Amino acid sequence: MRNGEQELSIMTKPRIAFGVLVVLLGASAARAQEAPGAGRVKVASGAAFVVREGRAIPATPGQVVLEADVLRTGADGRLGITLNDDTRVSLGPASEVRVDRFSYASADGGLRLVLKFVRGVSAYVSGRIAKLSPDAVRLETPAAIVGVRGTTLAIRVDEQ
Amino acid sequence: MTDVRAAGLLLAGLALCAGACAAKGSAVVVLLPDSDKTVGRAGVENKAGAVDLDDANEGARVRKGQRPTVFQLADAEVQQMFAEAIAALPPAPRRFALNFRFESDELTDEARALVPDILALMRQRPAADVVVTGHTDTMGTARANFELGLKRATMVRNLLISAGLDAAQIQVSSLGETDLFVRTPDDTPEPRNRRVDIVVR
Repeated sequence: MRNGEQELSIMTKPRIAFGVLVVLLGASAARAQEAPGAGRVKVASGAAFVVREGRAIPATPGQVVLEADVLRTGADGRLGITLNDDTRVSLGPASEVRVDRFSYASADGGLRLVLKFVRGVSAYVSGRIAKLSPDAVRLETPAAIVGVRGTTLAIRVDEQ
Repeated sequence: MTDVRAAGLLLAGLALCAGACAAKGSAVVVLLPDSDKTVGRAGVENKAGAVDLDDANEGARVRKGQRPTVFQLADAEVQQMFAEAIAALPPAPRRFALNFRFESDELTDEARALVPDILALMRQRPAADVVVTGHTDTMGTARANFELGLKRATMVRNLLISAGLDAAQIQVSSLGETDLFVRTPDDTPEPRNRRVDIVVR
């Protein structure tokens, strides 16, 4: 009830507007529950894909990225994403990174970020998870694990 | 199959693996200065060893199963190797803190005055979205504070929508009492911890 009064005082508009607001809120709360998302694509050019459950979807700015998605670029591709904790990850051409684990701002308060750098060149800028709980962040390459303390990194992985 | 033939196959298998398995996969990890020119820290480790990176353009080279080694890169070398990945980094998210009036669910005047700045920044950025995160002080249970944070964030979300933002661009979340602005013991009232952060990305 207190909340309702507050909304009215912000809008200083008639009751009808308040009703419309409630309907909008209901609709998007339902949508938010369907796909909470780990982040969004912000930069995509050339052959750039989000691979979900084995299916490669061409990446477009604004597209939602989920935990367990794989980011993949072809020979002329570039891809940049921002995760919900402000972590940024980008890929140059012929590269692949998996958003292996992402847990942030969940009801149980758990923090976890695991990125798997499979191949190619990438850049990483740490976000809130690294600030709040540095040990919760793990960047994996086939040859070594990287731990971070609030950091910008460039990573190259060669499969040979 | 005779024992001799089985042993021969095993040896051939081992020889193949020595060529292909031993050195499969290598990585280069380079610590870059942050956008504010400070330099963070990173550790690179595997079963064979571990190294720390704490200087700008300091790198670790590591081959699977072998100890990482540290080396220093010139700016030109960083560019040559990573320019395309670095160019694809999205712009840094920008944070706005909205505070509430003392013992109230109402935003301060300063907080309301930030709304036009937030809208202007969103218009500048491609595929802009905004994350609205509610925070609480440590009064009450962690679970109840998660809900309260969500309620505060939802209120600010409604304010942004009435100011003209598209609902699809806004995400609400809550960190409850887990990300305090002012560190306090549990069950401590602290108005500065009752806030909503807005991040434009």
